Amino acid sequence: MKYIIITNNPLVKEKYVDKEVEFSDVSYQEILQSVKNKIALGHKILTHPLSGSVKPKETPYKSIMISKERASVDLESIDIIENAIITASKFVERRDKWTPRVLEDFKLVDFTLIDSAMGSVS
Amino acid sequence: MKLELGYVQIKDIVFGNESKISNGVLTVDKAPIEALAKEDDRIKSVTIDIAKPGESVRITPVKDVIEPRCKVEGDCDIFPGTIGSVKMAGFGKTHVCKGMAVVTAGKIVGFQEGIIDMKGPGADYTPFSKLLNLVCVFEPVDGLKQHDYEEAVRFAGFKIAKYIGELSKDVKPDSTETFEVCDFKENMEKFKGLPRVGYVHMLQSQGLLHDTYVYGVDAKKILPTLMYPTEVFDGAIVSGNCVSACDKNPTYVHMNNPVVVDLFKHHGKEINFCAHIITNENVYLADKQRSSNFTAKLCEMLALDAVIITEEGFGNPDADLIMNCTKIEKKGIKTVLVTDEYAGRDGGSQSLADADPLGNACVTGGNANEVVVLPKLDKVIGTLDYVNKIAGGNENSMRPDGTIEIEIQAITGATSEVGFNKLTATY
Repeated sequence: MKYIIITNNPLVKEKYVDKEVEFSDVSYQEILQSVKNKIALGHKILTHPLSGSVKPKETPYKSIMISKERASVDLESIDIIENAIITASKFVERRDKWTPRVLEDFKLVDFTLIDSAMGSVS
Repeated sequence: MKLELGYVQIKDIVFGNESKISNGVLTVDKAPIEALAKEDDRIKSVTIDIAKPGESVRITPVKDVIEPRCKVEGDCDIFPGTIGSVKMAGFGKTHVCKGMAVVTAGKIVGFQEGIIDMKGPGADYTPFSKLLNLVCVFEPVDGLKQHDYEEAVRFAGFKIAKYIGELSKDVKPDSTETFEVCDFKENMEKFKGLPRVGYVHMLQSQGLLHDTYVYGVDAKKILPTLMYPTEVFDGAIVSGNCVSACDKNPTYVHMNNPVVVDLFKHHGKEINFCAHIITNENVYLADKQRSSNFTAKLCEMLALDAVIITEEGFGNPDADLIMNCTKIEKKGIKTVLVTDEYAGRDGGSQSLADADPLGNACVTGGNANEVVVLPKLDKVIGTLDYVNKIAGGNENSMRPDGTIEIEIQAITGATSEVGFNKLTATY
């Protein structure tokens, strides 16, 4: 299946130069919102938006895989992304500045989560 | 087929010149443990310490907790497929060093490992404060990537636990317990008339640093399958999970899975505990659908009347939990879910990332967002460098007076989703 990765994680952009990656320097919440907009256009969500036990708003990074093809709006995808947006909004925003080392760790964990889906894309 | 567990009660741990267990006292010679750790050239050094219940000690960042065990009779070695040969576990005799654990620690992923306090309010939230802990803090060689560091520490922990476990081989156990399992046909005949109950055991498998291994196989690569429930007692399932301290299942919990232990207690009396089904929690949605389909199919094929489903982790695994629940319920099989909650600091928000009216029987392991204040303790094994940064902490977690205000999600095992702790709620 052809796919697009929607991400705000620079490491994903850097590692996947040969893949279709839509990178934007936006917040975690905005990534979820942008995936919701894509679903409304007929893309299907392929990886779970809350992947990882790193909680929303604790990590600034999120990468989500969606189908490249568009079809009629997928109700299951809508359901999944809307639940994720509600869940993410519950978490207390971390306003402190992460140290570079911690940011690197967050980037790596987000990358490994999306990378673990690569083995499953047929 | 049966497995006899022989419990060798460890009453104290001391350091000495020769490793041995005598009269319940474990003497540890540090040199062979250091040598075992350094067999892996990714480990620069290991610091070995002892933490006892009630001592003013804080251990952090904790990676895994492992119970030392040893095969006395049977085909396999302990941790089969991981450090032992790939032979079938779950029968014969196994000695268990009860009352103690090997705790591995190291700053693998700076923000996600947990805390074990041996004293004070924090100790009440972790089951591991009640154990005599042999703590090994591993330093990696310079420039080592996190996933290599995780793997090196994971294997070192198992080797050390096996080394300690083998000291119990010739010790007469203080008590024994026998778990008997039988094949499908015998089970149907012997326990006819009792409700057929299964256990659907969800294993964390979202990716590197969020992994579980079954006989050495990464659980994300399995299709749901059947185990004899005794297999976990020999370390057939081990943790490679470095995240979500409060609700991850350390290897110790896999080896003492309380759902398996409790189902055995009722087996042959009120219920027929006839299936232990393991499944995974992958990030790819098609994997989730495939695994939940297979899990429901296995429950149906085994003609189960009811299942208990346990989860590991939060968010994405909630989707697997609900898929398993709804698909099994739609086969006419009753489900009980065991999970924990992220219900906000006041406990008022929706607890799970997904829900369904069919999930109408649920046991909670507690609210991971609950805030506690941990007092300053006299000694730290590991480092406090990460307390402000770990999950459940924030920039104000470390207070000037040395106390720590933190959500209980930072405490190892606080909201165990297999019920390996005391927190719960009654509605």
